[in-house]
Amino acid sequence: MRHTSVVAETPEPSPSPDIDPDADRGDPLLAAYLERRTNLVRFLAARAGSLAVAEDLVQELYFKLAARDRGQDIGAPVALLYRMALNLMLDRARGEARSVARDTAWRQTAHAEVGGVDVADEPPADEAAASAQRLRQLVAAVAELPPQAGRAFRLHKLEGLSHAETARAMGLSVKAVEKHVSAALKALTARLGRRADA
Amino acid sequence: MPDDARRGAAADWLARLSAADLDASEAAAFDAWVSQPANGAAYDAVLSVALELQAAAPKLIEELNELPAPRRSNASRAWLALGGVAAAAALAIGLTPLSVFAPETQTFATAKGERKAVTLADGSTVELNGGSRLSVTLARHERRLSLPQGEAIFDVTPDKSRPFLIAVGDRTVRVVGTRFDVRHLGDDLSVTVERGVVEVRPADGVKGRIWRLHPGERLDVVEGPAAPAPQLSVADPQAVESWRTGKLIYRDRPLGEVVADLNQQFARPVVLEDPALARTRVSGVLILDNEEAVTRRLALLAPIKALPSPEGFTLRSDPAAKP
Repeated sequence: MRHTSVVAETPEPSPSPDIDPDADRGDPLLAAYLERRTNLVRFLAARAGSLAVAEDLVQELYFKLAARDRGQDIGAPVALLYRMALNLMLDRARGEARSVARDTAWRQTAHAEVGGVDVADEPPADEAAASAQRLRQLVAAVAELPPQAGRAFRLHKLEGLSHAETARAMGLSVKAVEKHVSAALKALTARLGRRADA
Repeated sequence: MPDDARRGAAADWLARLSAADLDASEAAAFDAWVSQPANGAAYDAVLSVALELQAAAPKLIEELNELPAPRRSNASRAWLALGGVAAAAALAIGLTPLSVFAPETQTFATAKGERKAVTLADGSTVELNGGSRLSVTLARHERRLSLPQGEAIFDVTPDKSRPFLIAVGDRTVRVVGTRFDVRHLGDDLSVTVERGVVEVRPADGVKGRIWRLHPGERLDVVEGPAAPAPQLSVADPQAVESWRTGKLIYRDRPLGEVVADLNQQFARPVVLEDPALARTRVSGVLILDNEEAVTRRLALLAPIKALPSPEGFTLRSDPAAKP
């Protein structure tokens, strides 16, 4: 029973985009979408903290675009595209945050219950569990950040507090939190980034 | 643009993108920036590091918590080593080397069904219920905590010069010295006081009144601008805190609350088939042994049936059943 539910909880691989190459004919919004799909994924991955969620949302956005009434006049397609993406995230943000937290807690519990053998744990490549050595590198890199940057990064990016919640926990302004998170990201990338993408 | 500056710009964008006040025109500016191939590559490098760290977050937090506290003396020595001139210059322009004084933030988390007792450096104790996250910062002039998810009982060491502040959703709970329970599941938060006085006030920038709670009082708040008004009621703190002994005790509480509590305890979700069921009132005691037995017993307390589903358990209305 336990084993069955472990398997049942494994995230399904996200469906491949089912995109009709001619779909953008005469539709500037759909054309903008097809041209900017990568950027939209980049944008949503930063906001959602997960590539899988971002891919999912971008796919959902496509269905929304394809299903919408094409009669309306579109002033600035790019801004409209991002507004729709932001709204989609808003719709899902609360439920998503909760289910991610639930998944994590669930995985920890399941892990303990199957006696150290993570039966279901074959996450997609972008979420690959860090090897023990890589994990040590990650821990050291975060631990050795300047104190304020380290705390801001940890509260916001690792523990999932919003900028405002992080600001409250640290007694700083929201702008200052943003600055510390940026400094942390820069230092972490310099230290942990793969040479290949430099 | 040199690589380092580009990486800085990429990090700025990545940090900016998760801001709550980001709008579509700024997003479009990001789109234009990231469309430059060199910018795109720099951004992808930062993004992949951020995502790798975020994917490893639970393990990272666990490992970071086990590290010894950083040695402050190194920082101050390094700073003093800059010599009198640098120190004097820093003072002259009013700078304080923050790192020397910055208080540490500790974080604690529990898995489903796990309970954990923590003693803080000021002598206060916190008992965490399952599926909870808590961060604690003991600063010189205040004790700041945040409970983004879950439930905890706080027994606070009195210290008038250092208020004890807990951020829960869009409220802040402020105490001087007391014992009380805070529950924050989804958008619902509640505070039940066992001893002393607790103040619940809206977070900065949120409208709403300040509540002062006394022993035996419970305040239920739903987060968000369109939420119904907070409800003050009489509660038995022993019943509210019963989770610490592996029981859940309810006296005329909505079924939705019971389900939310169970979902903190067990891995497989319990769901209501019809959301309207959430309002059904429930009284009784649930012993938290195993999920199947608990849901079966719950079905005896209300006109419902508990059905196993592929994911967990579904509660269905069953008017034929005797509550």
